[in-house]
Amino acid sequence: MSVNSAIDRIEVSVFRHRGFVVALFALLTCFLVFQASQIRLDAAFTKNIPLNHEYMKTYLKHREQFGGANNVLISVCHQEGDIFNEEFFTALKGVHDQLFFIPGVNRTQVQSLFSPSTRFVEVVEDGFAGGPVVPADFQANEKGLATVKSNIEKAGIVGRIVADDYSCAMVKATLLENHPQTGEKLDSLALAQTLEQDVRKPFEKGNITVHIIGFTKMVGDVADGAKGVVTFFVVAIVITSIMVFLFSRSIALTVLPIACSLVAVVWQMGLLSSLGFGLDPMSILVPFLVFAIGVSHGVQMINAIGKRVAEGHSTKAAAQFSFRTLIIPGVAALLSDTVGFITLLSIDIGIIRELAITASLGVAVIIFTNLLLLPVVISYLDVSKHNQDKQKTTDNWSVMANFSKPGPAKLILLVTVILFTLGFYQSQNLKIGELHAGAPALHEHSRYNQDTFLITDRYAISVDYMSVIVETTDNACTDARVLETMDAFQWQMENVQGVQSAVSLASVMKVINAGYYEGNLKWRIISPNQYALAQALSNIPSSTGLLNNECSVMPVILFLADHKAETIERVVSKAKQAIAELNNDVVTFKLASGPIGVMAATNEAVEEAQLPMMLYVYGAVILLCLISFRSVRATISVVVPLYVVSTLAQWLMTVLDIGLTVSTLPVIALGVGIGVDYGIYILSTMSVKLREGYQLHEAYKQALYERGSAVLFTGITLAIGVSTWFFSDLKFQVDMGILLTFMFLVNMLAALTVLPAIACFLWKNQK
Amino acid sequence: MRIILLVLLFFSLSSQANEAPKPSISSKLSIKSMLLDIENVNDEFVIAVGSRGHILKINSKEQWQQMQSPVQSTLTAVDFVSATHGWAVGHDSVILHTSDGGITWQIQQYLPEQQKPLMDVAFKNKEEGIAIGAYGLFYRTTDGGNTWQREYHTSLLLEEDKQYLEELKREDEQAYLEERASILPHFNRIILDGVTTYMVGELGLIAKSNDFGKSWQRFEEIYHGSFYDLARTKQGNLIAVGLRGNSFRSVENGAPWQPVETGVTALLNNIIQSSTEQIFVLGNNGTLLISDDDGQTYQLVSQEDGKALLSGTEFKGQLFVASEVGLKVLQVIK
Repeated sequence: MSVNSAIDRIEVSVFRHRGFVVALFALLTCFLVFQASQIRLDAAFTKNIPLNHEYMKTYLKHREQFGGANNVLISVCHQEGDIFNEEFFTALKGVHDQLFFIPGVNRTQVQSLFSPSTRFVEVVEDGFAGGPVVPADFQANEKGLATVKSNIEKAGIVGRIVADDYSCAMVKATLLENHPQTGEKLDSLALAQTLEQDVRKPFEKGNITVHIIGFTKMVGDVADGAKGVVTFFVVAIVITSIMVFLFSRSIALTVLPIACSLVAVVWQMGLLSSLGFGLDPMSILVPFLVFAIGVSHGVQMINAIGKRVAEGHSTKAAAQFSFRTLIIPGVAALLSDTVGFITLLSIDIGIIRELAITASLGVAVIIFTNLLLLPVVISYLDVSKHNQDKQKTTDNWSVMANFSKPGPAKLILLVTVILFTLGFYQSQNLKIGELHAGAPALHEHSRYNQDTFLITDRYAISVDYMSVIVETTDNACTDARVLETMDAFQWQMENVQGVQSAVSLASVMKVINAGYYEGNLKWRIISPNQYALAQALSNIPSSTGLLNNECSVMPVILFLADHKAETIERVVSKAKQAIAELNNDVVTFKLASGPIGVMAATNEAVEEAQLPMMLYVYGAVILLCLISFRSVRATISVVVPLYVVSTLAQWLMTVLDIGLTVSTLPVIALGVGIGVDYGIYILSTMSVKLREGYQLHEAYKQALYERGSAVLFTGITLAIGVSTWFFSDLKFQVDMGILLTFMFLVNMLAALTVLPAIACFLWKNQK
Repeated sequence: MRIILLVLLFFSLSSQANEAPKPSISSKLSIKSMLLDIENVNDEFVIAVGSRGHILKINSKEQWQQMQSPVQSTLTAVDFVSATHGWAVGHDSVILHTSDGGITWQIQQYLPEQQKPLMDVAFKNKEEGIAIGAYGLFYRTTDGGNTWQREYHTSLLLEEDKQYLEELKREDEQAYLEERASILPHFNRIILDGVTTYMVGELGLIAKSNDFGKSWQRFEEIYHGSFYDLARTKQGNLIAVGLRGNSFRSVENGAPWQPVETGVTALLNNIIQSSTEQIFVLGNNGTLLISDDDGQTYQLVSQEDGKALLSGTEFKGQLFVASEVGLKVLQVIK
């Protein structure tokens, strides 16, 4: 057999040059430690969006003109009563000035009471009078404040720049894509830090509170939360070490698999940094996963070695033997993990692709550290004195082996079928997208989400807006038909449940038209007269974001109540309906920019990716099983429990109100990829025994003796590792933690119960 | 006739196409979108009209329903002469008629190419009515709106404009016609007061007619801004309100007028007199002025949202208001 002879050759050469192998690994590790120390947290807005999605093409095309979706909103609030006092205006001015001078802020679009573009216009007998809302000679005394108050009312900015109840005022800014001085990509995390240090910290005192929201601040908070992961990492290492020690009863056999797994983590980080990648806060959990997977394979290794040594072999011979028996199932298992992660590349969202690369790299590395380095290092030790008495567990295994007998097997399969049917039925309710208000990555009680709730509560605007882009001909904004069409669209959308308000050039032109007629609201219409429209238009600069310079592109901005998946879905589908009805030879409506446009595209991308991803993952798993077992029956026994467990995981998601998102979609692939390990380890022994002529029941019992405790232990170890995420500051990590814990534990149980039950019927007639 | 032809010629050059009117869309937000006029019809129901051709009917239980309206043009005014017969007017010089208490409406006039809105409508009885609007738009019917005739009232011109027009007529006939078509002020409201008819509008216009608008007599100018409403109080005095919080009162039937301090600078839209002899003045920026002394002094009760109040009517002891943000029911009547 050529595979076997290849393995022979590797085995011989590796163990003959043990010193060399260890030295090589040490050298590589030193280099990669250095590389890993250079790794940076890296978060960019564009990584989070499916750039090739139709909506995002519209978004990118017009981003330059309309500022895109990367905004910062800072609400300065006074705790007692209203904003009309000196303390407040001093703070607001301070915040405005600070924000204005932060590099990366688009200075032409900083908007607040203090920006010169915030003007009021009032009608007087002979026309208009107007000026900046806060006059140049403003002093925060009684008279000055009264003037500002009446100007605010005239300017009609309540709900946008000033809170509905006058308790807060807003400073808004759009961020540039690149740093203005260095020309490098804007560092979101550094900017978030600046916002916290230079804008929030100095001004939030006394009665003043400062509330900051926007993508940049959000990733900043996510990154801060992600740093808490280090603690979990340490906790996971400690717990895992204790577990391994309980399993191996040997300090050396505890330290080595842990150390080798840590080497895998270091390699992964080093390689990432060498390849020019950063670590995104969204994928910061991957090192965890790599560690946990590493340990689980390490445990298989020490388990195998320990058993051999107990049979009286020398440590070196045991290590060598274990290496050769485990290399095939190990590589198959790890490769299916890797392939599982690689399938995530099919999703056209930068951050998921990065996760795919990060994770597959990490798992591939384990092949070297835990399947190769670990036995080589162990072979230097003498573990014979650490013989364990496994008599008791062996008895337990004998009981469990009955699962492969027809009676218990029938019962197991019946329960499985019932669970599967229930799960399958329930998982149809699985929702795509975010199901909760606020920033989904963070907990509801986090400062960021509290700030978001405050702002959406006190202002008429929200961060959950979607811009539908109207593309038409040059100078179309003085064409009443174009504006009428936009207005009709806007009105239809305003009537959709979940749309709180909307604004577009059309609605603003109406207000201005009434302004030209003394503020008489009977004139609040889109004037049919081109000259009247041109006159009204002269009041609306393109910096308002309502039109471009050529007047050929205009957004209709829809403010939504929230960004729950069903809200977005409803608004998008109604928008599509309205567009189909209203698109004509002059006007083309295009979905969609703004944060909700991004989410809608992401949701659609996730939904589209779901099926192909599952097909690829299962395809890869099936293929690898066929190759390593060369048996259809074995493949079925491994894959069916996996599929049942993924279905149950989807059921769990609907029960726990977890939506299918950029962060939970990968979990399904990861869960299948890792879940398959158990089945592969069990079956690899079983199929050897079956080939040797054992009855199924006996073969399974043997497999349990040999691998059962390792499988059980592995499932628990992995589950403990990821369950520490329950305590994360980040909501998506909690979600991922729950799902992965479930996947690891239940897959392990399924491999020990459902797998033999299925096998019982597949190998029924075998004598 | 030539004027209309000229107007037609001018606008056929512009891109505006003359399309058939589209019926108004029924939507649940119509109760919250801008309403411009509201009327209590025989204490049986309330009719309100507003943006996008919306016509709403509110029954005595305060339940509202959107009626089928044949146009999407913004409607600016509504007037009923009985529980069944009513008219609504608005932009695109549209005139709608109902003879079943507002359930169905028929188009009597629709002239979008004219690009002039009607601002108010008043009917003396089921047959005779007047519709007025921007740039001196003036229509009359004597057959319940089956036919509407346009009228031009030179008597409503300012003296200097009359002279100017006469000079222009001698020099340039063409320019004269163009100028004549747009020189009249905007007519904002027409008020029936027994045998007397009042009309107020732009450029300080207050005019009076004793023959239901066939001949007009302009009052002396007391203010050069626009007037939006006029009313005769229960005590027989006149009140006029207009731009920038201006309010005037006359105890001698039109002369002399005394300015009344309102304390606001918002545009004042409408005067309502309650059965309890209170006077309410509605205005922009959430202005609600209440007078308990026949309009001599006012107390300001600002609406917190600052949204314009356009028109009001007393119904079931409450003030029903057509506002910028739809229907409001205010508990301000004693």
